[in-house]
Amino acid sequence: MRVLLDNTCLSREGWSLSARGIFAEGIHLVSGDTGTGKTTLALMLAGLLPPSSGTVYREGISSLMVSFQFPEYHVTGTTIRDECISWGVDPTAILTAANLRDRLDHSPLKLSRGELKRLHLACVMAREYDLLVLDEPFSSLDCREKERVCIEISHRTTGVTVIFTHEQMQFPRVDYIWEIAHGSLHSRGSIPGAFEVWEHAPEMIKKLIARGKVPENITPSDLLEAACRT
Amino acid sequence: MILIRNLRHQALDIPSLDILPGITSVIGPNGSGKTTLLKCCVGITEPAAGSVLVDGLPPRETETGWVNEFPDRNILFETVADEVASPLRFRRVSCDMISGRVDHQLGVMGIIHLRDRAVRDLSGGEKILVALAAALVHSPRVLVLDEYDSHLDAGRARTIDGILRSGGIPYVIRCTQQMETAALSDRIVYLENGRAVHHGAPHEVFSTLSGSAFYPLSLRCGT
Repeated sequence: MRVLLDNTCLSREGWSLSARGIFAEGIHLVSGDTGTGKTTLALMLAGLLPPSSGTVYREGISSLMVSFQFPEYHVTGTTIRDECISWGVDPTAILTAANLRDRLDHSPLKLSRGELKRLHLACVMAREYDLLVLDEPFSSLDCREKERVCIEISHRTTGVTVIFTHEQMQFPRVDYIWEIAHGSLHSRGSIPGAFEVWEHAPEMIKKLIARGKVPENITPSDLLEAACRT
Repeated sequence: MILIRNLRHQALDIPSLDILPGITSVIGPNGSGKTTLLKCCVGITEPAAGSVLVDGLPPRETETGWVNEFPDRNILFETVADEVASPLRFRRVSCDMISGRVDHQLGVMGIIHLRDRAVRDLSGGEKILVALAAALVHSPRVLVLDEYDSHLDAGRARTIDGILRSGGIPYVIRCTQQMETAALSDRIVYLENGRAVHHGAPHEVFSTLSGSAFYPLSLRCGT
């Protein structure tokens, strides 16, 4: 199971993104500045946006899901119950998972953005996918929910999971780091080797490494363990 | 000073809260009433009961700027230049002045290259920067930002922080889920179930939140 980017390029007026590499089974984190093409790449990986040139091969992938940055883009139901049903999942179980009990007959668009994101992610995570693309999954979530979602993502042991995020503090366990810079996708390899070359590494990780305290991974507990290491 | 007295609206229930000039961060769990409080402070929502006064005036009689947490809900016009110009046009500022002020604001924000782009084609982060430019272009007394930073990379968020600090805006009230960002504010209000449970200087509020998910990881790690 893998996604192969064979010299893919997407160009628009005055802007382009080129990407090559292999997203193997595991959890991948892609970072990059605002407007560099993270969402564009997410859509290409999921087959929702054809590249201008090159090819995206999804090998051994029989099911895929992309979670958009904006949860409101996914909404099709007029009530939360209908929204859950549209995902083919049990509304009661989903609302329990999302800590939104007693809201079944509310409009999803009346939820706060964080609550809508919780509902959306609970629907997404209720199923297994060979390829799961998460575009800014932590935006709008409160700190408790970020922790919970990170743990849930960390428990994915099969398939290809690709996370695009600006998040600086709360991360799941990840296997590979990628960055978009200067119009291209760059593989930074697996952790901990990737720390040496990860330009967009969160400030706290950079500080720990500067003090010689290299974390095993990037979850909050890994960072705490490294910080407290004597 | 912004005086909030006996405020009740939906789940929000705040008997008394004073917001001093400077940058105030509103934090708390999803659904705790943060956006409702922000909308009351900026005058988008009239509270069911109680009052909000900005230096003695209702928010609707004060120059305010607002950035919605849903990036697409900020957008009214086709191009970036028209969107940022709109608050000035609504105030009947002369066309000559508008063009100069729009270009200046886009330059300050580092997005002058987006000037003639269609807003709908921008990334989420770029849409937020455009909304922020439109909110800043008419020099508001109260600037209210609802989770603007959840779409911005760390470098850009730092740049925006600098603009907010040096922009001469008397009151900046922002909702954020980045506790490290909140820690750099002048004051923090922590909401839970519609109530302002803690408020004060960052070190005071965070000292009551140690052990919770809202305690900054950087403080836990001592970095």
